[in-house]
Amino acid sequence: MKISNIQRFKRLSTMVAGVFTVITFLLPNQVLADGGGDFKAKCASCHQPHKNSTGPKLFQVRTKWATGGAKEGSIYQWVNNWQTAAANDPYAADVSKWSATAMSAFPDLSKEQINGIMDWIDMQPDPAATTTGDPTQVGGDPSATEEEGSFSWIWLVIGVIFIIIILAVGGVRRQLKHVTSEEELVEKLTYGEELRAMAWKYRLWVGLGSLVLLLSVLVTVMQGLGRINVVENYQPSQPIVFPHDRHAGANGIDCKYCHNSVAKSKSASLPSVNVCMNCHKQINGEGKPFADQIKKIYAAAGWDPAGAGKYTGKTKPIVWNKVHVLPDHVYFNHSQHVVVGGVDCKQCHGDMTKMNEAVKVQPVEELNKIEGNIKLSRPTLTMGWCIECHAAKDVPLGNGKNAYYDEIHRRLKDNDKTLYRKYLKDGKVTVSELGGWECAKCHY
Amino acid sequence: MTRKYWKGLEELKETPEFIKQRENEFPSQVSVEEFLSDDKLNETSTARRDFLKFLGFSVAAASLAACEAPVTRAVPYVIKPENVTLGMPTWYASTYYDGSSYTSILVKTREGRPIFIKGNKDFGITKGGVNPQIIASVLGLYDSERLKNASIGGVDVTQSKLDAAVISALKSAKKVTLISNTVISPSMNRAIGTMAADLNVNGATKFEHITYDAVSYSAMREANLQNFGAAILPSYDFSKAKSIVSIGADFLSTWLMATEYAAQYGSRRNPEKEAEGEWMSKHFQFESNMSISGSNADYRGMIKPSEQAAVLSYFIKGLGGACAIAATVPASAEKAAKEALSSLKKNKKNALVVCGSNNVGLQLLTNQLNSLLGSYGTTIDLNNDLKLFQGDDKKVQAFANQVIAGKGSDMIIFMGVNPVYTLPNGAAFGKALKGVKTTLSLSAYADETTTLCSHASPDHHALESWNDFQVKPSHYAVAQPTIRPLHDTTSALESILVWNGKASRAGKDSNVAYDYIKETYATLFPSGDFAYTTHNSCENITVAAAAALTYKSAPITNLPKSGALEVILYQKAAIGTGAQANNPWLQEMPDPITKATWDNYITMNPVEMEKLGYVTTYDQEHGLDLATVTVNGLSVTLPVYPLPGQAINTIGIALGYGRGANGEKIGKAAFQTKEYGGYEVGENGLHVPIGANVFAFASSNFELEAVGTIKKVDGTYKIAATQIHHTVMGRHSIVRETTLDTFLAKDKEAYNPAHTLQKLNKEGHHEERPVSEFDLWDAHPVEKIGHRWGMTIDLSSCIGCGSCLVACQSENNVPVVGKDEVRRGREMHWLRIDRYFASDEEAAVGQRKDKETFSYSKAELAAENPKVVHMPLMCHHCNHAPCETVCPVAATTHSNEGLNQMTYNRCIGTRYCANNCPYKVRRFNWFNYPSYKKFTEVNPAQDDLGRMVLNPDVTVRTRGVMEKCSFCVQRIQSTKLVAKKEARTIIDGELATACSDACPTNAIIVGDWNDSKSSVFASSNSKRAYQALEEVGVKPNVWYKVKVRNEVNELLSSIQVVKEAPHHEKKKGQH
Repeated sequence: MKISNIQRFKRLSTMVAGVFTVITFLLPNQVLADGGGDFKAKCASCHQPHKNSTGPKLFQVRTKWATGGAKEGSIYQWVNNWQTAAANDPYAADVSKWSATAMSAFPDLSKEQINGIMDWIDMQPDPAATTTGDPTQVGGDPSATEEEGSFSWIWLVIGVIFIIIILAVGGVRRQLKHVTSEEELVEKLTYGEELRAMAWKYRLWVGLGSLVLLLSVLVTVMQGLGRINVVENYQPSQPIVFPHDRHAGANGIDCKYCHNSVAKSKSASLPSVNVCMNCHKQINGEGKPFADQIKKIYAAAGWDPAGAGKYTGKTKPIVWNKVHVLPDHVYFNHSQHVVVGGVDCKQCHGDMTKMNEAVKVQPVEELNKIEGNIKLSRPTLTMGWCIECHAAKDVPLGNGKNAYYDEIHRRLKDNDKTLYRKYLKDGKVTVSELGGWECAKCHY
Repeated sequence: MTRKYWKGLEELKETPEFIKQRENEFPSQVSVEEFLSDDKLNETSTARRDFLKFLGFSVAAASLAACEAPVTRAVPYVIKPENVTLGMPTWYASTYYDGSSYTSILVKTREGRPIFIKGNKDFGITKGGVNPQIIASVLGLYDSERLKNASIGGVDVTQSKLDAAVISALKSAKKVTLISNTVISPSMNRAIGTMAADLNVNGATKFEHITYDAVSYSAMREANLQNFGAAILPSYDFSKAKSIVSIGADFLSTWLMATEYAAQYGSRRNPEKEAEGEWMSKHFQFESNMSISGSNADYRGMIKPSEQAAVLSYFIKGLGGACAIAATVPASAEKAAKEALSSLKKNKKNALVVCGSNNVGLQLLTNQLNSLLGSYGTTIDLNNDLKLFQGDDKKVQAFANQVIAGKGSDMIIFMGVNPVYTLPNGAAFGKALKGVKTTLSLSAYADETTTLCSHASPDHHALESWNDFQVKPSHYAVAQPTIRPLHDTTSALESILVWNGKASRAGKDSNVAYDYIKETYATLFPSGDFAYTTHNSCENITVAAAAALTYKSAPITNLPKSGALEVILYQKAAIGTGAQANNPWLQEMPDPITKATWDNYITMNPVEMEKLGYVTTYDQEHGLDLATVTVNGLSVTLPVYPLPGQAINTIGIALGYGRGANGEKIGKAAFQTKEYGGYEVGENGLHVPIGANVFAFASSNFELEAVGTIKKVDGTYKIAATQIHHTVMGRHSIVRETTLDTFLAKDKEAYNPAHTLQKLNKEGHHEERPVSEFDLWDAHPVEKIGHRWGMTIDLSSCIGCGSCLVACQSENNVPVVGKDEVRRGREMHWLRIDRYFASDEEAAVGQRKDKETFSYSKAELAAENPKVVHMPLMCHHCNHAPCETVCPVAATTHSNEGLNQMTYNRCIGTRYCANNCPYKVRRFNWFNYPSYKKFTEVNPAQDDLGRMVLNPDVTVRTRGVMEKCSFCVQRIQSTKLVAKKEARTIIDGELATACSDACPTNAIIVGDWNDSKSSVFASSNSKRAYQALEEVGVKPNVWYKVKVRNEVNELLSSIQVVKEAPHHEKKKGQH
């Protein structure tokens, strides 16, 4: 591969601006969970706070009605049943002409609830006005790196100062010695000779010290070698900033909706652009940063959102950077693990519903924190990690749910009871006991 | 008559080189002194200091590279096609037809790339019949030297420009000739018919369509015209023939519709059928060359081509017919002829006689014989005639002569033919083409004819185009594209329609051919469902029973002339007529009989060779003598290859070689390469072709038999054969053979005795116990629990065609290594087919009673006409694998499913395992075949296009590792996974390895041996099942089944008797 394609596996820090934007969204979300929740559940399909869509934008809509001359309380009537409001209030009747599409009736919403929703809406900042937030700038977090960098710099500086002090002190001592030796006619020694003499004098300590030093260097080197090709925390940049937390988390979209061959094939597959368009034909992003990202999907799909929207036929595939990469000589099958093994995506990929940055290979410590995950110790995506799990994961045999395993169970039970008992010592038959540790299960 | 098997003449004669070599497990290496004294080393100019610099740099580079990894891209579809699931294969049913072979196929595609072709066993009339050429044709799709766009006068032009030029040429031409191979496409025929009708206005014959087949069957049509009044080729049914007599017809490999016949033949080669009240066919072959059919015959007679008439006459007279030809059968065929006659007499209408010659007289005699037998209506069907090979020799010859005389058409269109290469007078024809105003070729390559044409409009590859075929009136088939056209080529059908103004071009996604075929379909099947037919690839048509054709005799003239030396031009299973001579898989496939690769040669019986003073042995360093063969004043110089079974005073030379002799760009692998890469350049400054073209030796009426002379010339030529490598000693426990009578009448112990060893029993007596009871090791826990993958190979049904070998290469990304490496014994094929010649002096089972008096040196005598056994050999997946115990890094281990696993990443290449393998099936990966310059020309994986054929589920191995058959573990894993996902057990027959998938005769069965209801379990417990080298005690998971010949063999049956029980055992029984 060309050098230009090579990217360091260094930890990519988070996107400052992106985080800022997300936090501004999340904060009121937590404070007024009810209003926000109700908005999302009842209103969001037609309304947006700062933008007209199927329905008009709702930012400070109460003020708008009040200043527009609407009757007091008419807005709540409107939400419960717009026809009643339109019949009672000429302002409401005017509003009903805003669009040909009639608003649904929400008779079960109380005045408090409606106010909650309105309050929540009014707290939403206008994303178009947010100039600082641009999630496209995926770069290093300067403060973080600086901090980390200055930390090590301090040590370096201190080290240098110490060395200078030692040398200076040594020099002074030497000078003093010279002064005395001039009188006592002691043999003049060079620096090197002196050092050697010192080393010889304290040979036990010097020997022990060098041994410790040598061993620690060896251990560090070996550990370093062992970390080669360990891809934990690998987080390449992506052409589109894709927030998994929004899709899988907030909106609760099933992983399999996009990664739709995960149950059928060895490859989970990235969604083709037409899958993105299923939703994004309607959802074109609130605020510039998001709209910009979604525009990239439109460019790929050849979708012209202007006017009624149509496909131009000019498509351009999206080139993603693969995150979870296994070497070519490894055969890994998603459907084997997801369908047959019943392994949750979280086991290897972590909790994607909370991932608000570019996807990264989760370190095993992170994976272990997730509830329900089999706890492992080797670094993620290494062979040790795989086989550790194969030795821990049980295969339910003979439960009548899978005829394949029923037959395996029958053969084991009928023909080699001792072996079966040996397997069952730990109360389960594991993948490795059925051959999951054999080379040709993954390498061929 | 007893026999001994030997792998080569070297082995039979025990030449000093051979003896020396067989002591070494590996072919000898070049010694250090020899290597250093190699002048070619001076070519390299790396000084020691440079070397150290490079070393230092690479170490630094390697350590830097280790800390960084390349970014892998993932590019999803914009709109994912419905039938593509990433990572899962999509199969398409289609049909293969290349002008000589026809078969229903299944094409495996991955992410839109066709990567594997196999026969369709469920639909069509060929029942899964394939040949190596069909399987290898998928590689041709990715040939980077295919023509990529249209051209005029050698200059690339747009298709529309060419179309305009062709249309105006068609308009202005006085006479247009379309010369094509046999068109069996109803749509193409309709398009050509429309073109003819449109051009031949007012009764004029401006347009003419001539059918030309490189290898002609015109004589059969002519004979049937004379005998039955219809110039047809009948349908043959070898599954109904109890007695098969073939006179020089290689019906299992290249003759007529061999893809259909092989499966039919294979279904009747099962001796168990005879025991079940069915029957096993009896096959007699009379031929000059040892062909695949001849090597499988129960009786084989050696005759010269000129003696074919006498043999036919012998049968005719013997059956009471009248024949003017003397019935003097040569001594070398007498016994076979006698047996054949009695078998014909016995089976009468259930017999079938076929003749491979393109001589009308011989075909008339064959017809007479078949009508005497009454086989018309039983084994021969005249009503459902075969539409293949419609070429009319007389018309073709007249046309060629006209062109040569400069009086022919002023516009010639070539479609699917390469007459400059294949015509006997091709050279003269080629010269004359310059004088024709417009010459247009539709060939996919700049081949011999196309380079001489003024216009070229390359056709799609078969896997890129829609097509339909009607190989018999009762059978309609569709070929569907499995990939969007890779280059700017156009479908031939579309071109004909466009040039005739019936359609307009629509680019790569054109529907012109598709719509036209659908139209044709609608006329054939008014209420048919085209989508359904496409899904199955074919549909049967009910043909109204025609009036039976009656036989009437015809005068027999012009029989083949005899001569002191008769030359037979034959087709090899892999190369055929040379259309795929640029396909490295086919070039490297060892010939089923000679085991030679990358060459053609003169085959001669070693008995005769010794008389004439040719060397009869060769190895990697010692070549074969060259000789010049002259026929009709033309001569070629080729090495003389010792082939037992070649009739005395005859020689054979394969067609299809010597392609691209004038430097035509027909494909990278079509030329000879140098030892360190690059092409050999001849004296004329052009690339040296592989072998020599002998089409010119064919007579003017396209008979492939000729009279000539041979003269030894100075010099030797090294042949790359896989024959003398990997010797397997102690052959009685490798190949077992018996006769049908013995199999039916005697106990298993007689013909398939278990290996026993002596053991002391409790009473302290010696006792013979089966080998399986002796064991050094603990048994592997593979029996009864989990799966145990097993395979049985029936030596009776295996015809040695080589399809499995090519299928394995295609499935498992086996690298092509080129001639030089094959010569050194470094071929990489995971599966080899050993061909054992038998000597008449020793029984196969090796249980001679006269052990003390029998002289084994007698058994070393060469047999003039040996029997042959083909034995496919791959990794046996021994449960006590000797390779596993010697691996220092545990790179080869055993799975609990009985597989011997090879882990490339662990392998450090000590090669101890190969050393320890009793079957010699492990292959060491010597070079980086996908990148080393030596293999640039031969290895398709060295260009971006060629790499697309690689199977993504199988690792491409790198230099320095051992590799071997994995039992297609990727298929095992996926079969298991599918079963698991569907929550069901594995269905018997669901698992197929590449070799079993490809086998046209179903000789290879694989499955779960632990499933007691599986066919592999039943097969491995048959009376015929044995394990090769069982006495070694490695407990393989491969079983062979004793080859049963339907012959009378007194000596063999006198030897194959049940052993008398040892003395004390008898006593024990009395107690």
